[in-house]
Amino acid sequence: MSYSVGIDVGARMTRALLLDGHGRVQGRAIRETGARLELAAQQVLEDLCGNYRVSRPEIVYIASTGYGRYRVPFRQIQITEMSCHAVGALWLFPRTRTVLDIGAMNSRALRIAPTGRVEAFRMNDRCASGAGRFLERVARSLELELEEVGELSLRSQDPQPISSICAVLAESEVINHVTAGKSVEDILRGAHNSIGERLVALVRQVGAHPEITLTGGVTKNRGMVRALEERLGVQLNVSPHSDYAGALGAALLARQRWLRLQESAARGRLQSCEGAQTAFGPSP
Amino acid sequence: MEPLNFFWEEAKSWDELVEKCRTLWLDPAGSTVRAWKQQHPGEKAIGCFPVYTPQELLVAAGCLPVSLFGGRGQVEIDHADSHIQSFVCSIARSTLELGLAGHIDWLDGFVVPSICDVARNLSGIWQHNFPKGFVLYLHLPQNVDSAAAGTYYRGELERLRDSLATLTGRPVSDEAVRRAIRVYNRNRALLAELFERRAARPAQWPVVHVYALAAAGNLLPRQEHNRLLERALVLGDANLCPQRDVVRVALRGAFCEQPPLELLEVLEEAGCAVVDDDLQIGARFFLAPVAEAGDPLMALADAYRHRTVLTPVNNPGRRSRSDDLLRRCQEKALQGIIFASPKFCEPALYDSVLLKRALEGAGLPVLEFEYEEKMTVFETVRMQAETFVESILFFSER
Repeated sequence: MSYSVGIDVGARMTRALLLDGHGRVQGRAIRETGARLELAAQQVLEDLCGNYRVSRPEIVYIASTGYGRYRVPFRQIQITEMSCHAVGALWLFPRTRTVLDIGAMNSRALRIAPTGRVEAFRMNDRCASGAGRFLERVARSLELELEEVGELSLRSQDPQPISSICAVLAESEVINHVTAGKSVEDILRGAHNSIGERLVALVRQVGAHPEITLTGGVTKNRGMVRALEERLGVQLNVSPHSDYAGALGAALLARQRWLRLQESAARGRLQSCEGAQTAFGPSP
Repeated sequence: MEPLNFFWEEAKSWDELVEKCRTLWLDPAGSTVRAWKQQHPGEKAIGCFPVYTPQELLVAAGCLPVSLFGGRGQVEIDHADSHIQSFVCSIARSTLELGLAGHIDWLDGFVVPSICDVARNLSGIWQHNFPKGFVLYLHLPQNVDSAAAGTYYRGELERLRDSLATLTGRPVSDEAVRRAIRVYNRNRALLAELFERRAARPAQWPVVHVYALAAAGNLLPRQEHNRLLERALVLGDANLCPQRDVVRVALRGAFCEQPPLELLEVLEEAGCAVVDDDLQIGARFFLAPVAEAGDPLMALADAYRHRTVLTPVNNPGRRSRSDDLLRRCQEKALQGIIFASPKFCEPALYDSVLLKRALEGAGLPVLEFEYEEKMTVFETVRMQAETFVESILFFSER
């Protein structure tokens, strides 16, 4: 069997997804990225091989994506997050025309064609405003786990405003609310609303054409999804696999490329092309 | 002062050789030239503007030709801005800076071929600021198909030869020119071999490595560069690099001012295998060997008229630059073309408009951006290149 793998080396988590020769998802793996990006990528690959009984030579093509995509030494190609999330979102929800990818460090809105080609995109500014790292800082200042902030925010009765667009300064606002005796739920709701507003602005810049699909690690946060739906006034596509959309897109594009190289080789074209050699022989 | 170090003879690995060449190239003050002059007291080191300088004549006159490529991002423009406008290409400004700031005080003269307005003005500015130095502005024939062009250009070459004889105090014999032609023919053959191997196996011969090997020749005696390249071809065969999926592209625009090395690295990392280019074209601008017998000046003139690589700064005559590029695209199975032009380089920018039209007509994808010497941020270029690669690999029929 010939397998394709997509590896999404994100700022917080590294995810890998395994596709078999028929394009079916066979498995996935996740690790914290940490400071050694190459190691995280290597580990998720080993996890896939070990957990799903795939030998390394059976993996014929590996595509990396995410902010650490260049740090995957055994990749055949690196692909931008834009292309991967577009293709991944389209596979999860075939009527997707707008994608909102909310990651730890960056968030981006994409307008995509029915083929998955990115037609327009906007990204948050260089600071972490409008991304998961913002929520991480808020969670930390409230002594909470990141995983619980979404649910807690849904119980808010009186959301507190958090006006700063800077994650560091927002932390001071959170502390002010805490000293003023505001509830944790209300402060969290305010933080989600604050990010939601910035993300909705990104989506509107690319047109907000339905259907809109959410991808990225922050899609696990139900409070964030609710904040966005309230502001956009539509139901958003969210899948249990949305956080794997980047790795999924990379794996799908890897498979597409592998098939194309096989076709080309079969037709006798690209005999001297490096790409064909890459696909038919293991990397040194 | 260290003597000229023949590092290529001792290099144990490809990486070591490449690293030393890279260090050499990134030393615009030319410590190797200074060492050469110490070892050859009384001999002259003559600067050349990079494209179409007939260096064979300089070598025949016993001089060391040194192509001047500006500051390679290593020099702050301090003095030159009071002589050349800031909207002029980096190479002219930083080359003048090297002279005015005394970085290349080993320089005994400067030969500037008539490739563009900036080159013409630079030669005048140089003459004005270094009145005791030797400066020669070499006119190139415009109508290369005219029968008179050969005689005309031979006359220019003779003027250069006579000027060099006056400078050195020694006549320059025909036989000395033929010997130099042989050295340069060998150099061009070795460079062609290096670039051909790269085109066949781009992963094994990374563009920035090949580039550093070629660029080192600008700061070494050419026969020594030949030995360096012979060693490189042996070591490179054993070089192993991870093989990646790539698109095969041509790079155009760098015929004179060279892009920062980081830019070449970024393009390659993004998935562009540069398998056809005009990098360091000044050292490989003849498509076929120059005749090694007969009148050597006429041989050089004929080669210039009929067998020169087409760049935006020569007259193609009956040949067509766009047809030439389209033919190369076909021959090398190119999937896209990148026009990377130096900022403010009018010839490159004018030419790219016409070439782009021809390429787009043939359905070939084109990416275009500008670079400059002191460029330090490459993320925009990286994103453009990645998008370019993805559009070809995943969303086109090529």
